[in-house]
Amino acid sequence: MSLPPTHFPEKFLTLAEMMNISEQELERRKQFLQFGPEDEERLRKLAPVAENYAEAMIESFYEHVLSFSELKAFFPDAALLARVKARQKDYFLRLTQGNYDLDYAEQRLKIGAIHERIDLPIKYYLSMYNFYLREVWRYIFEIDPEHPDESMATFFSLMKLTFLDISLAIDTYIDARERTIKALQQEAIQELSTPVLPFREGMLLLPIIGQIDSQRARQLTEHLLVAIRAYRAKVIVIDITGVATVDSRVANHLVQTVDAARLMGAKVVISGISPEIALTMVTLGIDLGPVDTVGDLRTGIEHANRLQGYRVVKIAEPDEDEHRENA
Amino acid sequence: MDVELIVVESDAGVMNARQKGRQLAMTIGISGSDLTLLATAISEIARNIVQYAGQGEIEFRSIVRGGRRGLLIIARDHGPGIPDIAQAMQDGFSTSRGMGLGLPGARRLMDDFEIVSEVGAGTTVSMVKWERS
Amino acid sequence: MEVPILKQGDFLIASILGALTDTALTRLQENLVHAVRKHRSKGVVIDVTVLDVMDSFAARTLRSITVMTRLLGAKVVIVGIQPEIAFSMVQLGLRLEGTLTGLDLEDGIALLKAADTKDGARNHGR
Repeated sequence: MSLPPTHFPEKFLTLAEMMNISEQELERRKQFLQFGPEDEERLRKLAPVAENYAEAMIESFYEHVLSFSELKAFFPDAALLARVKARQKDYFLRLTQGNYDLDYAEQRLKIGAIHERIDLPIKYYLSMYNFYLREVWRYIFEIDPEHPDESMATFFSLMKLTFLDISLAIDTYIDARERTIKALQQEAIQELSTPVLPFREGMLLLPIIGQIDSQRARQLTEHLLVAIRAYRAKVIVIDITGVATVDSRVANHLVQTVDAARLMGAKVVISGISPEIALTMVTLGIDLGPVDTVGDLRTGIEHANRLQGYRVVKIAEPDEDEHRENA
Repeated sequence: MDVELIVVESDAGVMNARQKGRQLAMTIGISGSDLTLLATAISEIARNIVQYAGQGEIEFRSIVRGGRRGLLIIARDHGPGIPDIAQAMQDGFSTSRGMGLGLPGARRLMDDFEIVSEVGAGTTVSMVKWERS
Repeated sequence: MEVPILKQGDFLIASILGALTDTALTRLQENLVHAVRKHRSKGVVIDVTVLDVMDSFAARTLRSITVMTRLLGAKVVIVGIQPEIAFSMVQLGLRLEGTLTGLDLEDGIALLKAADTKDGARNHGR
């Protein structure tokens, strides 16, 4: 009794796939770092030793970290600190467990993403590796002081792997930044193309020029609603003088905008309905519903003024001297 | 991101589903106001499940198409099914006497939307919210 | 997770604190109706600024609050609907017809006072 599958054959994606880190890409990075099977071997051999020094190293690392006030803030209580230490231990032990495949990369990416999300500056994240490598060198050397070349080789293997980790961590930070920048750019572009103009306290003018498709209508509405909140607007004049055609879809968008504005306590006046548009709307049977509509922008503004209890009165002639100065 | 699944069988499940959806969408990078649209759509679909089928499940998956990330939401139930989907998706139609247009409304809140239903078998709604490009 | 109801003169103020369960919303309805009757309030401001989602259930409940409260002779203003919520609501066709709406608490109280004055004027047969 199962239903036919829906139309979305997308498989679910790992973080690595989302960030375009494929098997080949991972292989490439290892090649750049000159990290190969011999390195893996050396690291695997290091595992039992790593188990021994992990605790001590984590302890001294966190002593170092907690001596910085700005980092203390990330560990408000003892329970959290204990959990983090435990995870850190797992993280370091993983470095010597071999199998540095896409799964490994996926894990590292996840951890990087978590750190980025909690707003840990990357400088701290990276300096952790610095501390680790320097501490670890002692332990590695002590395994076999008679053969420093072996120790060096092992150390270098470890160093190559930590650089691989670092590259993955940096990727997650960069990725997050790029997404943020793109989002901000989008917002800026939208704001430019749909200007909402405050022309009196509590009153906004939204002149629309050109075609209104669904996407534009949605941008307009969103922008307007945010402006209502920002300017505490009670009356909006939406001027459609510059809108070429008003079909039922456009009318629908307008009605929705009016409804949404109303939910935020603002009233809308639609101005700029030309005789042609009026005729089209009647012919198509379009009803904008209980919305105030007027013929031109000037009337729209006057109407808006009246709604708010304003009346514009001329109290003097234009200043002749002002005009002359400009000549 | 792993696949996440929420069982929906009461109003607690409705709330779980929309909060989970919001949280997952946020990690994908979906923008602030879209999070609300998404949470609202999930809420409506989840309520439909509870109201018409008694229980169901909602699955969340992260997907990518053309370089853009999205959250795919698949809401399944084995309820009575919808006899006339076209009519149900028409604006202004609702089989119960409540307010609101759950299905067509949810469709307008989401970017991609698909519904499959079979009387006696159940209904599956699939919808996607993409990050802004 | 009760929604607190505060009395401010002739009016009651209910501020919704965040994600609201259906039960809490239904309880709010009961509590508000009782409070209106008990204090003989003239108006209620429901502040939904922090509400995470306004779906059909929430809209339905707010609407019944409005209807029930009106039967008791009081007006309801819903304030604090955020841009994204307002947008979603119109997509879902939830227009809260017959309910006053305002931008925020200050706006809401002003609307209730204005409505009160109008009623007063009408009742004194101007």
